[in-house]
Amino acid sequence: MSDKAILAASYLGPAGHGNDLTGIRPWGAPLSDALGRGELGELHWSLVFASDPGRFARMDYMSRLGLMAVELLEAGLDALPVRTRDRLGVCVETRAGSLSTDVRFLQTPRASLFAYTLPSTLIGEICIRYRLRGPVLCLMAPTRLGFASLDEACCWLDEGEADACLCLGCEAVEPETARAMDLETATSNWHACAALVGAPEGRPRERAMGSGTDSLLKTCLDLCGQRPTGVHPVGAELPTNAPGRDPLAKAALKATLPTANRD
Amino acid sequence: MTTLGLGVERLEQALLGNASGLRVCPGLAGKGYSSAVAGQVPEPVFEQLRDRDATHADARAFLLANAALSEAVLSARGLEAVSPSRRALVLSTTKADMDALERLFRREPCSAAARRHIQPSLLAEDLAAAQGVAGPVQCVSAACISGLLALKQGALLIRRGRADAVFVAGVDLLSHFVLSGFTTLKSLDAEGCRPFDRDRGGLSLGEGAGALVLARRELAPPRAISVRGWGVSDDANHLTGPSRDGSGLALAISRALTSGGASAEEIDYLHAHGTGTSYNDAMESRALRTVFGGQVPPFGSSKGMLGHTLGAAGILETILCLIALRAQTLPGTPRLREPDPAVPASVVATPRPAERLRKLLKVNCGFGGTNAAVLLERNGE
Repeated sequence: MSDKAILAASYLGPAGHGNDLTGIRPWGAPLSDALGRGELGELHWSLVFASDPGRFARMDYMSRLGLMAVELLEAGLDALPVRTRDRLGVCVETRAGSLSTDVRFLQTPRASLFAYTLPSTLIGEICIRYRLRGPVLCLMAPTRLGFASLDEACCWLDEGEADACLCLGCEAVEPETARAMDLETATSNWHACAALVGAPEGRPRERAMGSGTDSLLKTCLDLCGQRPTGVHPVGAELPTNAPGRDPLAKAALKATLPTANRD
Repeated sequence: MTTLGLGVERLEQALLGNASGLRVCPGLAGKGYSSAVAGQVPEPVFEQLRDRDATHADARAFLLANAALSEAVLSARGLEAVSPSRRALVLSTTKADMDALERLFRREPCSAAARRHIQPSLLAEDLAAAQGVAGPVQCVSAACISGLLALKQGALLIRRGRADAVFVAGVDLLSHFVLSGFTTLKSLDAEGCRPFDRDRGGLSLGEGAGALVLARRELAPPRAISVRGWGVSDDANHLTGPSRDGSGLALAISRALTSGGASAEEIDYLHAHGTGTSYNDAMESRALRTVFGGQVPPFGSSKGMLGHTLGAAGILETILCLIALRAQTLPGTPRLREPDPAVPASVVATPRPAERLRKLLKVNCGFGGTNAAVLLERNGE
């Protein structure tokens, strides 16, 4: 079993955005008003990207959110050698997937919109933007976003399928759609979190498990309504092959939340 | 559950007879779609299913998938030794119950059961409950490679020790949504798809459900077919079109060969994605030449038989591969008339007995530039 760590983590949601270096940064006015209410505001590339990444304007909210979460990782993906990019997996987890875009397509069928009526389109956008070649996977979460993607990433590393993996939880449901579809709306209708899982070699420990990372992951969990119980410190390594269905995600999470940051 | 009706026997007859289930569907004509040719499940089949399960009368995706699962579970031997907690289910779908979403959108009646299945994961949960599965449940939705990814996830659940038997199902409906979508993309062949044909003009959509039962080797019959390896890749090139050079698919195939410990020379047949669009079939031809050089194994496509069933395609086409392995028959390519000269000459137009059919590759490609390949092997030789 290989040594694994969350090398970077990032988050975007109504409360703000951040990564393991910066922590949560509230959205500036006037965005904070709309986003704080859980509404999907205009997410401009300049909120996260230093320059126009291209294609951004044509993307749906899910792809925008996911791509912004990956960029927020500040993981230097652009500078990775080809060999590394060809061994970097992408695993997306979502509950409602492209539902809001589906409804928009039903209202106005357009080819440019149809491409975004799949939850896995986000994977395509990420792979195009960062020139990644997979493996890839898109899992639909049962009721709330869990961390099945983290578990999958750990297995990929153990099984030699990938050397590192981008894990994303992404939700983008417009309140109107959620109401019409009777979707559970107790938690935020939109948020994205990303984590880069890989071998910790050559990475400063504080970078691999900085306090910002922990609080970000915890924030993600809170927003996803998934509060783990009995959290205990087990360091940076993430376990695999834990038994059962639900414990899988929780086991991975236990490993990422040291005592100092739990409540 | 396909346009051909219920049961594996229908698929076997169609495979051996190179038959096509595509037809002009009167209900699709005059609605602005660029083709009314499709692989639609006959309405009497739905009526039959509703008679069996009135509580899901309007939950069409559930009806199809549950019927396919029941059929698969019924025919699987050795399952009685597996407790419910050691049984898992993996569902593959792109749009789950799109029919329900469309009805809600039109403000038409829609049962609570059908409404739940707008969310793919809830459809998976309900199918698991209906089949007595108490172990892990996963739902994969990754465009047209969903089926092969679900197969891979199922095999991994067993390999990782999390289940002893896994029910893998795929389902998607023929809906206004997908017909409109592929019409906007100008991807439909008005005459019906003709994969690898010189005059091919696009794809035909289909609907259906398929299900497989995977089991730990010790529980499986001696001659059961093994899932040996898999490979998944992304083109990193285009959202809806395949990469022109086929390098992404070639990478997925190479990964599957490596994963399964097989060489390219050992592959006896390749079941292609073969949608019938100009770009896809050209891309696949290049990928095959990249991997196999001048020795491309016999290959073909069944999209002309069932249509493109999207999230169900990988599962239904894998079932066809299993039939071929058992029957030692190289499947043909229904509706292929004149092979495109640019396509490798080993394309199989009509079925024929195989000299040797032991290792077989199944490949699919999807939106987002995704590619998947699964290596199957017949045991008991």
